[in-house]
Amino acid sequence: MVQVEKLIKSGSVHARLYTEQEIFQQEMREIFGKGWVYVGHESEIPKRGDFLRRMMGAEPVIFSRSADGFHVVANRCAHRGNLICQPEKGNKKVFACQYHGWVFGANGDLLDMPLTSHECPDKSKLGLKKAKVDSYRGFVFATFNPDAPDLLEHLGNAVQALDRQCALSPAGEVQLRSPSVKHLFRANWKMLSENEADGYHVGFVHDSFAKGITLKGKYDNILSGQEDSITAVVRYLGNGHTELDYGPTYTQPLTWLGVKADRFPEYTKSMNEAYGESAAFEVMRSGPPHTFIFPNLFLAETCLVMIQPLSVGETVNWHTPMYLKGVPEELNNRIMRQGEVAIGPSSFLTADDAIIAERQWRALRDSPGWLDISRGEAREQQRNDGAVVSHYTDETPNRGFWKHYASVMTKTEAGVTADV
Amino acid sequence: MSDSAMKVQNAISVSEQERRELETFVFREAQLADESRYEEWEALLAAQIRYWVPVVQDNPDPDRDVSIINDNRSRLSTRLRQLRTGTRHSQSPRSVMRRMLSNMTFAKSGEGSFTVEANFVIHEYQTQSVNQLNVWPGRVEYGIVTEDGQWRMALKKVMLIHAAGPIPSMAFIV
Repeated sequence: MVQVEKLIKSGSVHARLYTEQEIFQQEMREIFGKGWVYVGHESEIPKRGDFLRRMMGAEPVIFSRSADGFHVVANRCAHRGNLICQPEKGNKKVFACQYHGWVFGANGDLLDMPLTSHECPDKSKLGLKKAKVDSYRGFVFATFNPDAPDLLEHLGNAVQALDRQCALSPAGEVQLRSPSVKHLFRANWKMLSENEADGYHVGFVHDSFAKGITLKGKYDNILSGQEDSITAVVRYLGNGHTELDYGPTYTQPLTWLGVKADRFPEYTKSMNEAYGESAAFEVMRSGPPHTFIFPNLFLAETCLVMIQPLSVGETVNWHTPMYLKGVPEELNNRIMRQGEVAIGPSSFLTADDAIIAERQWRALRDSPGWLDISRGEAREQQRNDGAVVSHYTDETPNRGFWKHYASVMTKTEAGVTADV
Repeated sequence: MSDSAMKVQNAISVSEQERRELETFVFREAQLADESRYEEWEALLAAQIRYWVPVVQDNPDPDRDVSIINDNRSRLSTRLRQLRTGTRHSQSPRSVMRRMLSNMTFAKSGEGSFTVEANFVIHEYQTQSVNQLNVWPGRVEYGIVTEDGQWRMALKKVMLIHAAGPIPSMAFIV
């Protein structure tokens, strides 16, 4: 075990946290192995038998729906460890291993094995490794730790972000569907996690976007270059969850979607009917959350991003449009278009974030030392619910992220049993 | 008649001269893209264009399925403006590239309107962060039209072999 607490101070963190193999393995065990991990959305597997291959940290899993609910099981045969399921998605009642023919149910139970006329082992002891599964408003999380706290306890203040996202739909639901775009960052996963709620970089990394766009409105406030006129804020929500809030910068509904308030009259009408005029106005004005939910989910306004660590220096950013249930097709089309332009290998924003992260990772590896994350320490404010709020360009979310990280990564020393 | 049979029949109607001119046009397009000559490349575009890199392999629908790139004329202009700012980090410095086109087919889709398809491989020396050679293979479909007596590109659909897998930043003209 690396004593990570020695690498984390209140306003600085050490480069080794991003580049050391041993720390990466410890993270896969302590964070992705013992805590709640986002695995998918219920709407992605709408029918009984639907499944998706997903990852919980470095571990391949099968996320499926059956008559008795949602299941997440290790994608590894209990017999000789073969990958049980190779397709990325599909519909199956059972999963049969192609090595020796053992057959498992979606819930991981061993149902059958060939050639048992003389000897049949106790099937109840040979199921697939099963995760505990829970969901909030369709967002499904799983953990391999049977003693993990309740999902709601883990989500804490972040439930407000999930509520805010769902409220944009008059039916109160978002819908995801394949495919996802998968963008490879040759950098450590925490650089992506931290960058999601880093307001300080936006005016610099995305300078070319600011100059390239002619459509003004959405980004005027944060790209003004005047520190005191920026009204967007950052928040540390607790439990490692962080966010940027652009709501304060918008005065009119749908500015966040880059359109005028009257662009989708049918949408406005159905929102008014669902929530009442003044509440609907507020939801449509303040827009979607820009919130990171520890350790691997990012609600990126118009799309959902799943952060998948591959190795200490490689991470895949999955992004999928978050469609709103019960809205005109043109509105969901615009949501898709907005996500395509913001996030992905050829997008106007994260194509550049990836390059900066890749440069940063190499510099940290080859020139290790301490990194400063102290910006805004003196002006951040704690709210009654424990969340900490500060100026859009402050490093409040980074400090919160690392505080939580330290508490999770050092639990073992405090007496919690380590993995065998 | 199947789509491919239709294409073969249509291919007959492409004259030798048209074929030579179309080939010259796409080779020029490929060279301008390789050399990141944005202004000259932009001059090849028709008034209406779709510049499209789908994720889905089979029958992708740009209005149903999320794409890696799905630019209309206006979004493509923004893309090129962003590339010209000098602070588009994912192309600053620019990648060094050479691409090969082969297995070309030519078809006439209407009066003054043609479809050219080719297999391609782009060799990209990524100079922005990792300094590695990237290989981008696939098939490209061009929609080519005549406007004011000039050949112009109305569709560039790039079907990467690994579109569904994790791919690194691809901010150059693919």
